[in-house]
Amino acid sequence: MRIGSAAQFGPVARGFVIGGVLAWAFVTLFPFYWTFVTSFKNLRIIVGGPTYFPFIDFQPSVHGWVELFTGVRGNMFKNLANSTIVGVSAAVVATLFGTMAAYALARYRFRVPLLAGLAFAVIAIGGYVALTELGMGRFGAISLAFAVALATSIVLGNLKLPGPLLGNEDIIFWFISQRMFPPIVSAFALFLLYSEFGKAGFKMTDTYLGLTLCYVAFSLPIVVWLMRDFFEALPPEVEEAAIVDDVPVWRIFLQIVLPMVMPGLAATFMITLAFVWNEYLFALFLTNTQWQTLPILVASQISQRGDEWWALSTAALTAIVPMMLVVWLLGRLMRSGLMLGSIK
Amino acid sequence: MTQVTLENVSKSFNETVVISDFNLAIENKEFVVLVGPSGCGKTTTLRMIAGLEQASGGVIRFGERDVTGLRPGKRNCAMVFQNYALYPHMTVAQNITYGMRVRGAPEAEVKEALANAARILDLEPYLDRLPKKLSGGQRQRVAIGRALVRKPDVYLFDEPLSNLDAKLRIEMRVEIRDLHRRLGTTIVYVTHDQVEAMTMADRVVVMNEGRIEQAADPITLYREPANLFVAGFIGAPSMNFLPGAISQGTFTGADGCSFPIPPQRLASGTDCAKAVCGVRPEHILAEASGPAKVKQKVKVVEPLGPHTLQVGMVGDVQFTAQVPAARKVSPDDVVELGLDLDELHFFDAATGKVLPKGS
Ligand SMILES: Nc1ncnc2c1ncn2[C@@H]1O[C@H](COP(=O)(O)OP(=O)(O)OP(=O)(O)O)[C@@H](O)[C@H]1O
Ligand SMILES: [Mg+2]
Repeated sequence: MRIGSAAQFGPVARGFVIGGVLAWAFVTLFPFYWTFVTSFKNLRIIVGGPTYFPFIDFQPSVHGWVELFTGVRGNMFKNLANSTIVGVSAAVVATLFGTMAAYALARYRFRVPLLAGLAFAVIAIGGYVALTELGMGRFGAISLAFAVALATSIVLGNLKLPGPLLGNEDIIFWFISQRMFPPIVSAFALFLLYSEFGKAGFKMTDTYLGLTLCYVAFSLPIVVWLMRDFFEALPPEVEEAAIVDDVPVWRIFLQIVLPMVMPGLAATFMITLAFVWNEYLFALFLTNTQWQTLPILVASQISQRGDEWWALSTAALTAIVPMMLVVWLLGRLMRSGLMLGSIK
Repeated sequence: MTQVTLENVSKSFNETVVISDFNLAIENKEFVVLVGPSGCGKTTTLRMIAGLEQASGGVIRFGERDVTGLRPGKRNCAMVFQNYALYPHMTVAQNITYGMRVRGAPEAEVKEALANAARILDLEPYLDRLPKKLSGGQRQRVAIGRALVRKPDVYLFDEPLSNLDAKLRIEMRVEIRDLHRRLGTTIVYVTHDQVEAMTMADRVVVMNEGRIEQAADPITLYREPANLFVAGFIGAPSMNFLPGAISQGTFTGADGCSFPIPPQRLASGTDCAKAVCGVRPEHILAEASGPAKVKQKVKVVEPLGPHTLQVGMVGDVQFTAQVPAARKVSPDDVVELGLDLDELHFFDAATGKVLPKGS
């Protein structure tokens, strides 16, 4: 809904509003412009002091772009492909599963005994420690302990146990809490875990599967959290109308609920994709040659031969432009007002 | 074509009892209206019939079939929600036929049902529109159309007209009534508007605080209210209540009036120290000639055209009288009003129940 237009302000207020907007636009757009012009400069121009306008106060050269595309400074195409493949797969998988989880959390009431959750932690950690003490390999120990813990907690979860019950809000909090600590904490742990997998014969570091799984795990909480809000904003009667009409749950979800949250879904997918696309820390830990992503390439431009700003700029632009394209494509899906006419 | 039976049905939301010991047998092809003030549990009752809410106790039957634990889709009801609940991304035609297509009905049948519903509901010009391009009344009809093609055993309507303007509401009232006559299907209809209830129903169920106050046909409800709640709820403007006492066949009002009660209005020998005499505004006599008279201090005069409402006080209680339009009264006048002895109702003030009538 439109709340008002700029016309309802007086001329002075309007001047302030427009001035403010222009100032902010400058703040956000100038770095982009600066990166763009810098990518056409060479060392002499850069050390010669600030220049702003190609052809007017400096003669642009395309050597930065030539270097980028010929692969003089790392294989840009490969990293771009890696980022695209990993980013899209992780965003698709995380959005898919996260959305389903969020729907369940928004529409069904869960009651999990706290004891079942505690049992999981105790059996998983205790089992691992005990099994390794008994001389079992780490990989075997962790797999076995984890499987037993999961099975036990599922069984316990369905029993009437004494003690407090965890509800949907607790489950959501548990999801979000995974994003509350700095990522470096889990980056180390994940690296060690993947190394153990590698020793046991499943190569996880520097693989498509390893990197994608890690990103899915880290995107899921955000997806669940965002999507649940979108689902809760829907009037339940629309789904109930379908329930009374004997429509199976999966069709209600796919054909009625998903179309209604399309703007939210597009926004969530976008946020997830942007997170994975820009992610640096995990990519640094978990990849080296095969599955390096764009942020690593951009960062690596700094260290090689001193500060070569044109190289950094071309790499940065390569990382930015695809995201802008995606925003432009998905932007039209994000328009609101899809629910209009459903109720009242 | 089913009759719906609710036996001792109750419903609580986390310890809060919303419906208690609800008993109702709805006949085949009956048009039953649940009416009552906001929050009395009408929607909850309807949702329990549909299966969207699980009854906390009791049994719900469709015919001989016990449906208490059955999931909504298997009950074969069609529900029209208070807020329409259309599928916003589907056109009118898709909205109406979605359920049929999901159930795998053959294309020819779907087409026929759609054409039929569109004709009945006057929706033909709008079939390709999205709900957001429709007016409230059109959306309402789409919601009804979606229910129509279901060919259900029972139709459930939850305040379907509450969002429409007065004129459209009266039109839709007639249309739904007419629809019921043509379809001959059981309908349970919820409203908080007593005029809607009276005009549409075969039988009106007056609810209050999760209980049934009285279930009867509209005329019985109007003429023979079982208690003070129903007496006050049904009829507009509301019935007037004069507190007083009954002894030896005579009512003595707190305001000082006193008159003998005709034997057919009260069983002989009924005495009641705290009684209430109820009289509807339309049962005030044009001439204050009989023995039953009260003095009203007029506060507001509302000319309605055919007649005039005279709102004021009798003793300490509010009292509204319907008088001929020609009568000239102004605020602060004290006028004498005659009560129609054959239309008086007597209640026990302690229990709220109507006192037994004579023959
Ligand atoms: N899901 C729920 N949880 C808790 N209380 C509820 C729930 N649904 C309804 N109630 C309570 O039950 C009572 C009856 O609600 P209901 O919606 O049936 O009223 P209603 O008669 O339909 O009212 P209205 O005319 O305003 O629609 C209300 O007091 C309401 O607060
Ligand atoms: Mg209601």
